[in-house]
Amino acid sequence: MLEIKNLHANVGDKEILKGLTLTIETGKVHAIMGPNGSGKSTLSYVLAGREGYTVTAGSITYNGEDLLALKTEERAAKRIFLAMQYPVEIPGVTTMNFLKTALNAQRRARGESEYDAISILKLVRAKARVLQVNEEMLKRALNVGFSGGEKKRLEILQMSLFEPKLAVLDETDSGLDIDALKLVAEGVNALRSPERSMLVITHYQRLLDYIVPDRIHVLANGRMVAEGGKELAHELEATGYGDLGKVPA
Amino acid sequence: MSTAHSHREARRAEALESFRVRGMPHRRFEHWRYSDLRAVLDAGQVAQAGTAHWSIPALPEGVEQFDLAAPNAPAWVLKAYGTIGNRPTMEEASLAFSDGGVALRVPAGTTIAEPIRLEIAGGGNLRWLVVVEEGASATIFEPHGSDVGLLRNVGVDVALSEGAALTHIRFAPFTPKSFVVEHIAVAVSARAQYRAHFANFGARLSRTELHITLGGEGAEAHLSGVTVLGHDGHADVTSHIEHAAGKTLSTQLFKHVAGGKSRAVYQGKITVREGANGSDSRQTARALLMSERAEADLKPELIIFADDVKCAHGATAGDLDPESLFYLRSRGIPEKEARRILINAFLQEAVETILDEDLRAAVWHEVEAALPRAMESAK
Repeated sequence: MLEIKNLHANVGDKEILKGLTLTIETGKVHAIMGPNGSGKSTLSYVLAGREGYTVTAGSITYNGEDLLALKTEERAAKRIFLAMQYPVEIPGVTTMNFLKTALNAQRRARGESEYDAISILKLVRAKARVLQVNEEMLKRALNVGFSGGEKKRLEILQMSLFEPKLAVLDETDSGLDIDALKLVAEGVNALRSPERSMLVITHYQRLLDYIVPDRIHVLANGRMVAEGGKELAHELEATGYGDLGKVPA
Repeated sequence: MSTAHSHREARRAEALESFRVRGMPHRRFEHWRYSDLRAVLDAGQVAQAGTAHWSIPALPEGVEQFDLAAPNAPAWVLKAYGTIGNRPTMEEASLAFSDGGVALRVPAGTTIAEPIRLEIAGGGNLRWLVVVEEGASATIFEPHGSDVGLLRNVGVDVALSEGAALTHIRFAPFTPKSFVVEHIAVAVSARAQYRAHFANFGARLSRTELHITLGGEGAEAHLSGVTVLGHDGHADVTSHIEHAAGKTLSTQLFKHVAGGKSRAVYQGKITVREGANGSDSRQTARALLMSERAEADLKPELIIFADDVKCAHGATAGDLDPESLFYLRSRGIPEKEARRILINAFLQEAVETILDEDLRAAVWHEVEAALPRAMESAK
């Protein structure tokens, strides 16, 4: 469902992705591991279409469509979701209003009817309960004053609400204690489905103990350097990233 | 009788002389740097502008009203009429050239729950004043009509006795061909409060000048405002708050959105007089620039002669936060709508300071109507 071929991408003048190739299959959970600075977050931003992340070569095909030709919001409407490492705090916008606006914008773009306030409230409440996102959080300004765990739970709530076909989870474990991590992982696992692919990006194997991937890819220095099954996470934990991805002299 | 009349005539003659000597304010006047009135308007035009109109469709019970066009002004009018503040030149002009206006009195101990709606219409000079006596409280909603013509120059006196409270909400519509000047002089006695909100949508040149004296212990002034500009609109809010007594408090929150080739100006001067210990002043002015040709000039200024005071000020101007914009778009919200959401959120903080729900909704309605103009040349 997603095919990345020989992707080169710059942030400013600096080339971060240097010929990355990756295929994600429908209904599978793929994990990308890699050291700091290997290009993991850049990949997630390129997939979401963030400004300032320029693709200089290569291609990304999403369900047969040229992903790079789509605007950020069009990608969301086509059910690509990025759970961010650092969800942004937006004062003056209540969480509930944001969820309603976003969901209806996506539906509008797909030519679907918009939800009214009441049905959306019911929908959000039902999904929020599972993730222990309470009413009070929904009334607060988006992410403002939320703890790390609350922010990540709200990201997963959005994922549950938007029903993406491809969910990219960027360092979802960062800043979480073990209890918060378990709760978030449960939320993610509940959303695993044969129609939904996931790309879990993480530095540590810890998250992959709770969200067990089908495939693991190792990213270093802007390209994929290793690939394997779920056991690869533990091997990497034991050996470290070591010499992986060192540019040959 | 004739003494009262001649008292006002004498004040008027004095104002005329003062205006004649000082002339039109211009960019080399202190605090007129960003609003060069003399370059676009001459003194003769001000003198011949006539008198603007005022109306109060329904005066709430308990409020006394006096038409300044009438003779025999009562003592409470004379005491406040053109006597408050530092009398800058355009205020002198409104005294010298207006043939009317209105004075309002809220008697001691009276609480007027219903807002007093004071409508200003037409072009010309105008005076209005309000006296809120000891322990009394009231709200004045002052919507300005867009039928300004060339010039509207309004001079306002606000006298608040001990423990009095006045909320003042002023709304000025988009009047692209007009010059709009107002001067609001406020005297705040001990434990009295002046709360004001100014919603500005721009004129060819628009100047709101406030001179507030916190004259008694525990006096407070809380100012807020939103300015939404597009095309080549201009709006200048210049405030001077003097903390003249101890334990006085002032807060200011001004938010500006400037698009097109517009220019938003905020100058906030705070003076803490000697002995005004325990005074606290906070001042925030922020501007969002929606186009490369829009300009914001934000200038906080602190002059402190007392030792034990707290003064905080912040001023920023820039574009919308790109991280926030990306976050909203990544959730499927189209760029234009995302920008709008962020601008609304930015302005809301200042509009929320209006406590009366209906007035807040009325101001917000105008903000929403003005935003497309400010966003026209947005990326």
